[in-house]
Amino acid sequence: MVYEIRIKGQVQGVGFRPFVYCLATEMQLSGYVNNTNEGVLIEIVASEKIKDFTESLLSKAPKLAKITELSTKQINRLPKYSEGFHIIKSQSGDKRNVLLSPDFGICEQCSNEIDNQKNHRFQYAFTTCTYCGPRYSIIKQLPYDREHTSMGVFEMCDDCRQEYQNVNDRRYFSQTNSCKKCGIKLTLFDNQKRQIADNDSAVIEQTIKAISEGKIVAVKGIGGYLLMCDATQPSTIETLRLRKHRPLKPFAVMYPSLVALEKQIEVRAEEREILTNEVAVIVLLSTNIQLSTAGLVGVMLPYTPLFQLICQKIDRPLIATSGNLSHSPIIYQDAKALDELSEIADFILVNNREIVVPQDDSVLRFTPKYNKKIVLRRSRGLAPTFILPSFFAQNNIIAMGAMLKSTFTITHENNVYVSQYLGDLEDFDSQENYKNTLSHLSNVLSFTPQTVLVDMHKAYSSTEMGRTIANEKQLKLAEIQHHKAHFAAVLAENNLLDSSEPILGVIWDGTGLGEDGQIWGGEFFSFRSNSIERVGHFEYFPNLMGDKMAREPRLSALAVCSSFFENLDFLKEKFSDLEWNIYQKHLKQAKMLQNSSVGRLFDAMASLLGIADKVSYEGEAAINIESIAQAYLNENGIPNEIYEIVILPQNTLSIQHLLQGVSNDLNQNVNIGKIALKFHLTMIESVNMIANKLNISKIAFSGGVWQNALLVDLVIERLSNFELYFHQQLSPNDECISFGQVAFFELINRNKS
Amino acid sequence: LGHGSGGVLTNKLLESGVFDLLKNPILDEHHDGAIFELDGKLAFSTDSYVISPVFFPGGNIGELAINGTVNDLAMCGAIPKYLSLSFILEEGLTMTEFWEILLSIKAAAEKSGIFIVTGDTKVVERGKGDKIFINTSGVGQLHPKAAISAKRVQVGDKVIVSGNIATHGIAIMSVREGLDFETSIESDTINLNHTVEALLDTFGNDIHLFRDPTRGGVATVLNEIARDTKLGINIQQKDIPVIEEVYGACELLGLDPLYVANEGVFMAIVSAEIADDCLKKLQTFENGQNAAIIGEVVSEHPRQVVLQSRIGGKRVINMLVGEQLPRIC
Ligand SMILES: [Fe+3]
Ligand SMILES: [Mg+2]
Ligand SMILES: [Zn+2]
Ligand SMILES: [Zn+2]
Repeated sequence: MVYEIRIKGQVQGVGFRPFVYCLATEMQLSGYVNNTNEGVLIEIVASEKIKDFTESLLSKAPKLAKITELSTKQINRLPKYSEGFHIIKSQSGDKRNVLLSPDFGICEQCSNEIDNQKNHRFQYAFTTCTYCGPRYSIIKQLPYDREHTSMGVFEMCDDCRQEYQNVNDRRYFSQTNSCKKCGIKLTLFDNQKRQIADNDSAVIEQTIKAISEGKIVAVKGIGGYLLMCDATQPSTIETLRLRKHRPLKPFAVMYPSLVALEKQIEVRAEEREILTNEVAVIVLLSTNIQLSTAGLVGVMLPYTPLFQLICQKIDRPLIATSGNLSHSPIIYQDAKALDELSEIADFILVNNREIVVPQDDSVLRFTPKYNKKIVLRRSRGLAPTFILPSFFAQNNIIAMGAMLKSTFTITHENNVYVSQYLGDLEDFDSQENYKNTLSHLSNVLSFTPQTVLVDMHKAYSSTEMGRTIANEKQLKLAEIQHHKAHFAAVLAENNLLDSSEPILGVIWDGTGLGEDGQIWGGEFFSFRSNSIERVGHFEYFPNLMGDKMAREPRLSALAVCSSFFENLDFLKEKFSDLEWNIYQKHLKQAKMLQNSSVGRLFDAMASLLGIADKVSYEGEAAINIESIAQAYLNENGIPNEIYEIVILPQNTLSIQHLLQGVSNDLNQNVNIGKIALKFHLTMIESVNMIANKLNISKIAFSGGVWQNALLVDLVIERLSNFELYFHQQLSPNDECISFGQVAFFELINRNKS
Repeated sequence: LGHGSGGVLTNKLLESGVFDLLKNPILDEHHDGAIFELDGKLAFSTDSYVISPVFFPGGNIGELAINGTVNDLAMCGAIPKYLSLSFILEEGLTMTEFWEILLSIKAAAEKSGIFIVTGDTKVVERGKGDKIFINTSGVGQLHPKAAISAKRVQVGDKVIVSGNIATHGIAIMSVREGLDFETSIESDTINLNHTVEALLDTFGNDIHLFRDPTRGGVATVLNEIARDTKLGINIQQKDIPVIEEVYGACELLGLDPLYVANEGVFMAIVSAEIADDCLKKLQTFENGQNAAIIGEVVSEHPRQVVLQSRIGGKRVINMLVGEQLPRIC
């Protein structure tokens, strides 16, 4: 009997065909396997063994493979091969249904090979195999074949070709296969575009020397250029801060090895696992080493052979931060790097493999007590794959996402793609990058949109772009409220869209435009029978001075206090007389925009506690207030009192009572760490009260505030009698908005039908 | 007006002073309208002036009303000739205040060389106006060498601003907000027609467009040009002239100087070949001393205005969409 097996999912470029080949050969079955635009197609001649075979396909698949669908069907024709098993060349069709593979960090075997003097890839900076190396960042077209990637221009030498054709080799059909003889070349330039070295070993030697001497080198990695320098030389870091116009925002650190890292910082099992697996992300670790900020430092391990060669030799932690200027996206083109990164870096290490899709490093953290994973930035290694087998939405949707942490989501052939983090769209290059990534992914997948989803906020660049697309192509356009999108995202990620029980959504973030024209951000929603209703929120306070408010927590403090206190003199010292007079005048205006943002409430607290009046980067105040509360908790445990919670009509949470409590504590010189912790606890208790009042037993959390690990730990601890749902693959911040727009739109459609 | 009420005083006032002060041969005719001769292509423009406060550092509503229309004509490439002037006065405006406004009107008209040839005054009850509203309409003769049109803007053209930007808007706001700056910021309201005429004399049709970035500021004008021409515009933050105090005030108020209103400033889009000469010429005028080339017209990013930031990175300068709602999450 002849069977046709079709497999969908992340099955290309992960050693799937050789795996099928080996399995079939082992079981003495004949037939063939090939890559198609839809995934993998197997034709096999089998009888009773077919069940065994398909089961093994699922259970023994290579670790990088992710199967979303496997269908077996008996066919009534003669087999193409009745003897032996064959891997045949890919076929192109119209449908592009295969899931794109993300980029993978270097595998253990490749890592050993480049250290092994006897191996012919000794010190080869682009060593890869089917288990590792770039994928999404180099793909130009589907199916994933060498000529469809930036590797297409490199002709394999005889040795490499032999590996490539040997089914028993780890590099069988490895599209990124190359070696010193036939592969990618390194060139080192100084910041005047003068070539310093172009012999690979000389380049690496000089790079190591430069970094050791305290110089900054821009190194082309997988998703773009990283700025690297010695993390143990404070003057070098100072120079980097100055040149990058980044006074305080922490830098990520690359340790030469796990061993070296663990000598300095305690690493927990979950963290170790994710630092060393194929995703190779940045993990925020709790520590007080000199490089840390607010008790945290972002670390990663060398995830490419090149980084390994550089780091191991220097044997000290290196700063490794995205090569970009201020808010712009990571630079990935060589010419641009030579032009622009020369303002920051002393040297630029170029290689001649083109990056097609630029990506930043992904960033994760784990909550200190319950090890709950929080995605802070989903990018290289994680995007664009978004496997959510239970989630179905209409096909051919583009959801444009938010503004400051932009992503887009497209639905295509029953797959969902959530783009990598695409940055702040006020920045021109980020906008271009967003547009390019969208059109690239659309081309690769042959995607044509029918529906465009945008935020309600008309001044979001993503909204404007979405409107333009909808106008030009005459597509259906729908506006979706920001926080409803947040909620829908976390619901869908947890497979809750079909839930028959009501779910409370606790959506806390910075700002989003609300349906009443005010600024929302401290919202409670209920989800029942396909619909999302706003059921409560934090008490409104004035939105002062537009976006300036988000940059100056003291403005939040002033705005919050002005609504509820007569005498504001205690805030006066935070302002010049001139500022004070102006802001007072503004606050007296009748038509102030109102705001219910918990993000701004955290800002206000940070300012009241004297931690931050102005911030130099987004999230600075929030990180610092979390940090002092966590530190207090670690020292003293949970205090036995919290602030008074008063629920006003329409489930409006009083801020006045909270502030009164904080103010009393401040007057009595209570430790600010304790106040910060009591504030966190009060916030959690308010969720408890609202959930009880509404008699809802399931709670889902989304919004940027939930990047706060302490808050998440406290939820898990204090709300243990509820069923709790958090984001899993996506970030709770605005990166999840595009997917949430899709999920919310799905709810709208369900309601219609 | 402080001591009068109703229409009786109005007529008296009219006869006994208002337009006497502004007299010229055509106005003296006392017709229902003005009669004059003009040849060739004409430009015609109208604007109403409503501003609070009426008196602000560096000027008042009167000269604003003259300069505004004079400048609108100049921006068309015309030489302003004749002007109509109408007042709507609210009871309660004092005679002293009104007189001061009239004097500035007279001075501004003389300075620009435009003749006020017809006018009207109405008084409304207290509460039905805001002290004083002025409408002016003007006619001008097109400069023989002028060829001003968005259609003529092309890739490579340079963008010139004639002076420090945002000064007027901040001067107004400083009074409204009670900003007490160390050195007071004064409005730069002034007639631009002589400068414009001289530029047209010298550079003729190499000047492709004039615009005065009044309400909505430089950003709005640039966006309109980008939209109308379907071309892109790049500007350099480091080249945009802004007085330090104005910059500080913008910081304080969370404003971007590019969106703040101007009065005594115009923008010119000129062909690249003459841009430097045009700038030099402009700088010889009193109101052009701080002129600068701030950017150029490009083929990339059609319809978009992009600012090269001082610290690296580029920012998209959007058209303001209604009220500025915060976007940072
Ligand atoms: Fe948000
Ligand atoms: Mg006008
Ligand atoms: Zn490998
Ligand atoms: Zn080779």
